[in-house]
Amino acid sequence: METAKQIIESYDGRKLRIMEVCGTHTHEIFRLGIRRILPPQIELISGPGCPVCVTPAGYIDEAVMLALEHGAVICTFGDLIRVPGSEMSLAGARSKGAAVKTVYSPLDAVDFARENPDKQVVFLAVGFETTVPAACLAVKKAAAEGLANFSILGANKTMPNAYRALKGSADAFLYPGHVNAITGTAVCEDLVKLGVSGVVAGFTADEILTALAVIVRLSASGEPFFRNCYLRVVRPEGSPAALKLMDTVMEPCDAEWRGLGVIPMSGLKLRPAFAAYDARLKFSLPPVAGRSNPACRCGEVLQGKCKSTDCKLFGTACTPLHPVGACMVSNEGACSAYYQYGDILNG
Amino acid sequence: MCVGLSARVVSIEDGTALIDASGAKRRVSADLIDDLEPGDYVMVHAGVAIAKITDTDADESRKIMESLDGNGETDH
Amino acid sequence: MDNMNSNEFVTLAHGAGGRQTAELIDRVFKAHFSNPDFTGDDAAVLPVDAGKIAFTTDGFIVSPFEFPGGNIGKLSICGTVNDLACMGAKPLYLSCAFVIEEGFPLAKLEEIAAAMKKTADEAGVRIVAGDTKVAGKGQVDHVFITTTGVGQLTEGVRTSGAFARPGDAVIVTGDVGRHGCTILLARNEFEIDADVTSDCAPLWGTVKSMIDASRDIHVIRDATRGGVGTVLYEIADQSKVGIRLNSADVPVAPEVRGVCGMLGLEPLYLACEGRLVVFAPKSEAPAILEALRKGPYSASAAIIGEVVADHPGKVVMTTEIGAQSLLPQPGGELLPRIC
Repeated sequence: METAKQIIESYDGRKLRIMEVCGTHTHEIFRLGIRRILPPQIELISGPGCPVCVTPAGYIDEAVMLALEHGAVICTFGDLIRVPGSEMSLAGARSKGAAVKTVYSPLDAVDFARENPDKQVVFLAVGFETTVPAACLAVKKAAAEGLANFSILGANKTMPNAYRALKGSADAFLYPGHVNAITGTAVCEDLVKLGVSGVVAGFTADEILTALAVIVRLSASGEPFFRNCYLRVVRPEGSPAALKLMDTVMEPCDAEWRGLGVIPMSGLKLRPAFAAYDARLKFSLPPVAGRSNPACRCGEVLQGKCKSTDCKLFGTACTPLHPVGACMVSNEGACSAYYQYGDILNG
Repeated sequence: MCVGLSARVVSIEDGTALIDASGAKRRVSADLIDDLEPGDYVMVHAGVAIAKITDTDADESRKIMESLDGNGETDH
Repeated sequence: MDNMNSNEFVTLAHGAGGRQTAELIDRVFKAHFSNPDFTGDDAAVLPVDAGKIAFTTDGFIVSPFEFPGGNIGKLSICGTVNDLACMGAKPLYLSCAFVIEEGFPLAKLEEIAAAMKKTADEAGVRIVAGDTKVAGKGQVDHVFITTTGVGQLTEGVRTSGAFARPGDAVIVTGDVGRHGCTILLARNEFEIDADVTSDCAPLWGTVKSMIDASRDIHVIRDATRGGVGTVLYEIADQSKVGIRLNSADVPVAPEVRGVCGMLGLEPLYLACEGRLVVFAPKSEAPAILEALRKGPYSASAAIIGEVVADHPGKVVMTTEIGAQSLLPQPGGELLPRIC
C-alpha cells in the first residue's frame, strides 16, 4: 500500500482526470480521505455509477403509484427510500400509508410474496450488471413457483454504452470491479481501441490505491491502456453463469439516466416470456414523465462537467436530510459524499 | 454502486450457501458459481454469491505493483 | 412468574382504574417493586439531602420489546439511570409509567417488571411511583414505558456537554453499536444471524469508578439513539471544539462489523445502551482508563481520539491510509445500502 501511495503522492506529470464510475468507489474514496493525499495534478471525478443517482424521478413516481393507488407492497433496497420523485419519495408515500419494505436481496422479496399470498409484492429492480443477476434469479424463482403476486418494476442499467457516452470526460476510468466480476473485461479491452483508458479496481484501501498508482504509471506513455487490478475477483470472462441467466430473463432496451437523458441500449427489461412479472404491464401503468428540480445540476456532476460545490442548491436547498437531486440522496452519490466527507475541514 | 462483501462459505445445500463474514451469517444464492465448496471465499452482493475470491487484497496489490516494476505486464 | 396463567392478558378493564387495575398493580408491580418508599398513596414522600439533585425523564419504545441481552424493562431503567450517572449523580429514585396494549400477555409484563427490579437493584435505585394505562389493540406497539429519575450530585463533579476542551482525550467505555445491531438482527428483516447481544447496562457503577479515579472529567454522555458518532457531533457543537478520531482505535465487535459490512452501515451510528463517551484531560486519561477496564461493563474501554481547537463543530477521522476525512454528519433514518 505504501508503494502505491508514494507513486500517487509524488506524481507531478501532466494533469490527470480520473473518473470513478461506481458509487461504492466514490463512497470509499471519500471515507478513506484519498482525495486529501492526491497531488493537484490528479483530479477524481465521480461518474454515473450509483444506480440511485441515475434513477429518474418518473421511476419513483411509478413506485409511489403502485404503492398508493394499487396497494402493492413495495420491496426495495434501502438506498431508494429517500430519493425524491416528482411529488414525493417512498418515505413520503410510507407516511401516507404505503407499505414499503426494505430488503437485502430481491430473493427476500420473493420469499415475502410467498408468505403473503393476499398481497401484491413489487420489487424495485435498480442496479447495474452486478445487481441484475439477483433480480433475474428472483423472477426465475417466482416463475418456477408460479407466484402470481410477485413482479418487478425494472430500471436496471448496463455500463458499456454509458462509457461510450462519457468518452472524453476523463483521461482514465476506474472501472467498477463488481460489474466486471459479472461482465468480464472484454468491454474494457474494446474501449482501449476507441482510445479510452481504464483499470478495473477493487474496493479496499489497498486496491483503490493500487489501481490509482497503476493509472499514474501507465498514463506516462500517453497510449491508451487497460489493466485488471482486481485479479482476485474479476476473471477475463466474467461470470458465464450470470451472463447466461441475464440473457435468458432480460433483453437490452433504451434507458433514461437521471441527468444524462436517454442512452440507447443502456438498460435491461424483462423478455416477453417473463412479461407476467413486469409490474408496468401487470398494473397497466400509464407512461410517466417525472419532473426534477430544474436548478439541480446532478446531470453535469455525473458527467464531470461541474463539481457538486458548483451547484447553487448544494448545501443550502439540497442537503442529505432534504435532498433535491439524487446525487445527494444516495450515500454513494457524489453530492452526498462531498457534503458528508467533503472539503469543508477548514470551515 | 454495489456493496460487495467478502465472506467464507460455511456450507452449501440446494443451491444455497451459508456464508460467514466475521460472524455475521446469512444464506445466499450459490446459483452463479458451479464448483463452490465449504471454505471458499466469495464476493456477495444483494443475497447472491457473484464470484469466488482467490487471494487477499494485500497479496493481489503486491503482485500488481511488482508486475508494474517489471515489464509492465500483468496476467489479466 | 409461575403463578401467572399463560392465558392471561391485559384487558381494557385493567386500565379502568377499578378493582382489576388494583389487582394488576398488586400482582405485577407491587410484587416486584416492593420497597418502603413504594406506597399506595398518591405520591411518594422522600427525604432530601443537602446539595443538589439531578432530575431526568425518558420514554421507551422498542421493537421487539425483548431482545438478546435485555427487554424494554431493563432498557427503561438503564436509560434513566445512565442519564443521571452522566451528570455525576448517584441515582436514588425512579418513577415508571406504563402504556400497555390490550391483549399483552401478563406473563410478559411480569418478565418486564422482574427485569426492572433486577436492574434497579443493581443500580442502587428505588422505584417509588408508577402508573398504568391500557390502550386499545393497535394503539401502541405492545408496551411503552416512561421512567423519571432523581439522583444526588457528587461533590466536586461537574460534567456538561459544553465542557470539552482542546487537549482532552476522548474515551469510549466499550465496543460500539451493539444495541442497534442486536435490534436490527432481532427484527429479522434482513435474515442475518450473528452472535450479538445488546450492551444495555446500568452505568452508575462505571461512572462511580471513573470519578473515584479522577474528579477532573469534563464530559460524560451515554451514547443511545444515534450512537457514538451522534454524541461526538453533539459535544463538538456544544463545546465549540473539533474532535479528531483515530478510526483504527474505535472498538467494534467483529460480528457487528460483519453485519455493518453486509448492510453498508457505519457502526459509529448504531445505537448503544451501555456505552459512555468521556472527555477528560489527557493527563487524567490513563487513570480513568485503568479504572474502567476493571469494571464489568467497560473492560474494552479505549481512547479513540482527542479534542482540538481546529475545525470547531467537526469530527475528523484519521483513516486506515493515514489520511484525514470528516466523519459523516448524523442524520435521518438508518437505511441499508445495497446497490
